[in-house]
Amino acid sequence: MKNLIERLKKQFKISEVVFQRDNEIFLTVEKMDAVSMITQLRDLEGFTHLVLLTAVDWLEEGYFQLTYLLNNYEKKTDLGVRVKIDRDKAEMTSIHHLWKTAATYQRELKEMFGIDFPGSPRVDESFILEGWDNIPPYRRDFDTKKYSEETYFPRPGRKTHDPAEYMKKKLYPED
Amino acid sequence: MSFKDVLKPFTAWKNLAIEPVSIKKPLERQAAPRYRGFHKNNLEKCIGCGTCEEICQNAAIDMVPLDGIETKEGDSGLRPMIDYGRCCWCALCVDVCTTNSLTMSNHFTWVDTNADNFRFIPGAENKPWDNEELGYKKPENYELNNPYRVEMVEIEPEQRDKSFLEIVKGFSKEQAIKEADRCIECGLCIATCPAHMGIPAYIAAVRNDDMEEGLRVLYETNPLPEICGRVCTHKCESVCAMQHKGDALSIRWLKRYIADQVPAEKYKEILETENIKKNDKKIAIIGAGPAGLSAAYYLALLGYNVKIFEALSGPGGMTRYGIPEYRLPYDQIDKDVDYIKSLGVEFQFNTRIGKDITLDKLHEDFDAVFAGTGLHLGRSTRIDGSNHEKCYQAVDLLRDVADGKSINVEKKIVVIGGGNVAMDIARTLARLQNQKYGKVQLIITSLESEDIMPADLEEIVESREEKIIIEPAWGPKKIKIEDGKIKGLHVIKCLSVFDEEGRFNPKFDENKKEFFEADMVVEAIGQGMDLSYFSEEMQSRLEMTDRHKVKVDNNCQSSIPWLFVGGDIVAGPDVISAIADGHRAARGIDNFLSQK
Amino acid sequence: MTDINKHRDKFPQKNPDGTNIIDLKSGKFIKVWQGPNHPGITGNMSLELTIQGDEIMECKTHVGYLHRGFEKLMERRRFIQCLPICVRIAVPEPDFNEYCLTSTVEELAGLKIPDAAKWMRTLLLEMSRLQSFLMWIGGQAGAFGLGIIGQWSNYVRDLVLDRFEEITGGRIYHMHMIPGGVRGLTPDGFEKRMEETLQEIEKVMKDIETTMFNNSIFKKRSIGLGYIDPSMVFEYGVTGPNARAAGIPKDVRKDYPYLKYNELDFDVITGKNSDAFTRADIRRKEIHLSIDLIRQMMVKMPKSGDYMAKVPNVLHWKIPKGETYVRAECTRGEFGYHTVTDGSGYPRRINVRGPSYTHAVALMEKLAIDVNIADTAGLMVSLHTYPPEIER
Ligand SMILES: Cc1cc2nc3c(=O)[nH]c(=O)nc-3n(C[C@H](O)[C@H](O)[C@H](O)COP(=O)(O)OP(=O)(O)OC[C@H]3O[C@@H](n4cnc5c(N)ncnc54)[C@H](O)[C@@H]3O)c2cc1C
Ligand code: SF4
Ligand code: SF4
Ligand code: SF4
Repeated sequence: MKNLIERLKKQFKISEVVFQRDNEIFLTVEKMDAVSMITQLRDLEGFTHLVLLTAVDWLEEGYFQLTYLLNNYEKKTDLGVRVKIDRDKAEMTSIHHLWKTAATYQRELKEMFGIDFPGSPRVDESFILEGWDNIPPYRRDFDTKKYSEETYFPRPGRKTHDPAEYMKKKLYPED
Repeated sequence: MSFKDVLKPFTAWKNLAIEPVSIKKPLERQAAPRYRGFHKNNLEKCIGCGTCEEICQNAAIDMVPLDGIETKEGDSGLRPMIDYGRCCWCALCVDVCTTNSLTMSNHFTWVDTNADNFRFIPGAENKPWDNEELGYKKPENYELNNPYRVEMVEIEPEQRDKSFLEIVKGFSKEQAIKEADRCIECGLCIATCPAHMGIPAYIAAVRNDDMEEGLRVLYETNPLPEICGRVCTHKCESVCAMQHKGDALSIRWLKRYIADQVPAEKYKEILETENIKKNDKKIAIIGAGPAGLSAAYYLALLGYNVKIFEALSGPGGMTRYGIPEYRLPYDQIDKDVDYIKSLGVEFQFNTRIGKDITLDKLHEDFDAVFAGTGLHLGRSTRIDGSNHEKCYQAVDLLRDVADGKSINVEKKIVVIGGGNVAMDIARTLARLQNQKYGKVQLIITSLESEDIMPADLEEIVESREEKIIIEPAWGPKKIKIEDGKIKGLHVIKCLSVFDEEGRFNPKFDENKKEFFEADMVVEAIGQGMDLSYFSEEMQSRLEMTDRHKVKVDNNCQSSIPWLFVGGDIVAGPDVISAIADGHRAARGIDNFLSQK
Repeated sequence: MTDINKHRDKFPQKNPDGTNIIDLKSGKFIKVWQGPNHPGITGNMSLELTIQGDEIMECKTHVGYLHRGFEKLMERRRFIQCLPICVRIAVPEPDFNEYCLTSTVEELAGLKIPDAAKWMRTLLLEMSRLQSFLMWIGGQAGAFGLGIIGQWSNYVRDLVLDRFEEITGGRIYHMHMIPGGVRGLTPDGFEKRMEETLQEIEKVMKDIETTMFNNSIFKKRSIGLGYIDPSMVFEYGVTGPNARAAGIPKDVRKDYPYLKYNELDFDVITGKNSDAFTRADIRRKEIHLSIDLIRQMMVKMPKSGDYMAKVPNVLHWKIPKGETYVRAECTRGEFGYHTVTDGSGYPRRINVRGPSYTHAVALMEKLAIDVNIADTAGLMVSLHTYPPEIER
């Protein structure tokens, strides 16, 4: 695994390499280099299984992290390729040509995070949410609690008490 | 594929003759002993801490009042009500319940046409499963919190018994955070703390390593955190919800930790007291003890010009002149007091009101007066020989030690008394004996048997570690004096201290006697107040309670309107009550003067 | 079943990737909506089919009927509070959620769990596989008209649920794994009752084997249906029995032995023909394998000892910033949690990888082409799909 990282480092701009387990590494690669590196990993390094493709919203820092989790079935190793993309220009090159399943992931990411993958099949069709008219719901600034309070109604008649405040009211109201 | 594949499936017909496997009366099926069914709650055990509500990610639990359950110290009086329209039977509430009162039955069938009936207080509605033994309980040796406290490091007896070095080391950051982590933020302790300090809030600050926030929370209700962080009677800990699982939180040490971390220079900035707007009103405070200091602090925050008159030469009252240095180093008192001073509070030491200045004069010169003069008169046993010059009062000796006066410690000492003051004087004298003679020969004797001795357990343990001998359940009879010198103390067995009604009424067995050799006796059986600074006219107007303390209203205002009173002469006696009084009095004075 | 290839000239031309060239305006095609109460799955999902005659020319998967935003909800929950939620992501086999969630959390928190807890988790996972396969087998048989199999298999599945109930106090959602360990070991006399259950399953399996696997109808309809070429396995992210039927011995239990799998003796079950029948046969053998593994565990498992590590106060438990992925072999293949933490008391993001995500969408859409409409349910069940793990 170490050798692999050294090899990749020579070709691509790689940072934040984390040896999470003996057979699991996470690393960050520049957005520009990502797809060519992933292609190389698939074609030359044996990372033939796309385990998953997902995103993390680092709202405070202003970027989305994409994680392409690749698996080398022969060597039984995993490589998590992280790519940071600008939250305001959330767009990434598609990899639907590398794995048939990638299009599904990308369609979901478009819908749930608003990350675009131009050229990916059916990327603009809604996947899970039909008729959604709010911001992409998996973004951190989408507040599920607020949404549910606005959309649904609570069961009437419920009331709770904070123990400390209740005790103050009962035991020492003047203080 | 073969012909066999056509015929073989017909073997299924053989099942026609077989008895059905389905359960005949499914409603009567007993679920497994660990089944997670409808909740049960032992309402006597439950303390209404609300942890179950806090963990429930379905928001199925409300904390509600319940007839017959009273709100009292250590019990909010609330009980969990569960909405079974939301509950998912995960039993996390059972796992975290601080008292283990909440469990589950293995009942899972219940039909009712009214959906609202599925919202109820377990244990309060006589459900058929309330007395069911079976059902999920928190497994053994399984905790979702650490039940036990982080141990406090103390210096070893051999290193401490000759010096007045502070015994308790204080938490390291790691220890403090670990201890603070255990708090479940129920807030039950707040009601019990006489000053109603924001305990869970400052513990949260420790957890978040935010000392500035911690200090702000402390000063909201307590301007003497270094003092209290060391010697507070920590009543809050006696009701901490976590004691039901293991140990109460070390609330006192966490408070000390916060105060210890923040350097004095930063207080004003953190507490935003750099630019207090002054008004032109003047307040006089009698006594620089905790009550007076606390009143001074909160009055100064409100912009008043505050002047403290103190009979002794330094500030702190009994915290300096009573509590020994090994429990509370003087520089820690100074840290608290200096900050109060820095807000413009004036101190005039060596000035006894009633002697050097009259109370009437203060009334003339100031807009209001606060008196927190404490209990400084030692009580005597009045037994034969107790007026001998080598028979001392504990408070007098402690004051002399604090003042740096040298004391003639004798080789053999007997201390009479079973409370913390007795321990303090004994341990102080033991240190001096060690310094002077290289060994300790000191007996503490109390009326109370060991199980009811009022002193804290750790004081008793530590005294013994310091080679002090404790002789409980003896009544002092007579001090033996020969050739003008004390030879020892005659005692008789004390059988009981309180009568059936719980009143102080000791009974003795005159036939069981003992004699403790001594050449010095110290009495530590209690202190009384000295109100001689009140003129006779005033004393006649000053209302007292039937427990012989000064009577005040909730704002510490006495029956003489311009006179506010607090501290040991009103309640307590302990530091935190005095602080709370000071705070109340400041509020009262402010109300009083703004109404004028 | 018409052999579409014999009449190929009547059907549309093919694109190079095997899809049909469809001109909806030609009037030759009909769109049919199957679902969301689809007979091919447990849960809700729809297929949008373009058919000519009764042959499927194009298939599009539609999901979203079960979306409750679990991944997002977990971002608002303390780590421990995620547990009651996560189980709902794969209803018929919830234990894998518990395992993957707890073990990612433990890994990121640097927490080691006691040995007995590992054994317990292994047992729960294997029991979960067993009951899930038993449920599946009823579905597969039912999709081809053999309704009775489901009655039998659900009876024995219920017995497994009884055993779950004994250990965990719950039948479906067990919530027995907790970050730090498990909530208890097996109760007294459990081995005996487990053994009785296993024997009952074996008895019923015998009947199922005769009536289902030696059944001309079942064979006729399943042999050759939904052929997955080995070359598709990596392209389409195929895992579990679907991959093993294509001869690729992918099994997380062997490839990345987790918990106690390296102390158990077993071989990976593979097949050759990669059609619905082969997949069914593999799952049938998996049932026997699970039975065998449970028997091994009943002998090797400790009956006492610590089962819970010391954890800090779960109300304030903060976990350092990190990212990891933990996988396990569920009945449908590779099940995994990708958990990202940010140092706070709440997960930054949890992404659940359920095998249905790839099997029921891209793969299903590919395999459905040129299939007779009557076989869609059978085909879908043969891929073993749970919709909630697609939409989480
Ligand atoms: C040995 C000992 C140990 C103790 N240990 C603890 C402990 O561990 N924890 C705890 O919480 N409490 C403890 N206490 C009790 C605690 O010290 C008192 O409850 C607390 O100090 C009371 O504060 P106060 O302000 O009311 O009075 P004091 O602290 O007594 O202060 C009163 C001040 O007023 C001054 N004064 C009195 N009369 C006049 C006058 N006429 N003119 C001017 N000044 C005057 C006195 O000199 C004194 O400085 C202890 C007490 C003693 C004696
Ligand atoms: S069992 Fe779970 S869901 Fe039900 S009240 Fe308790 S914590 Fe809430
Ligand atoms: S956690 Fe336990 S003690 Fe606290 S309120 Fe709930 S049931 Fe009562
Ligand atoms: S210190 Fe104890 S009583 Fe106070 S809030 Fe924390 S757990 Fe509750």
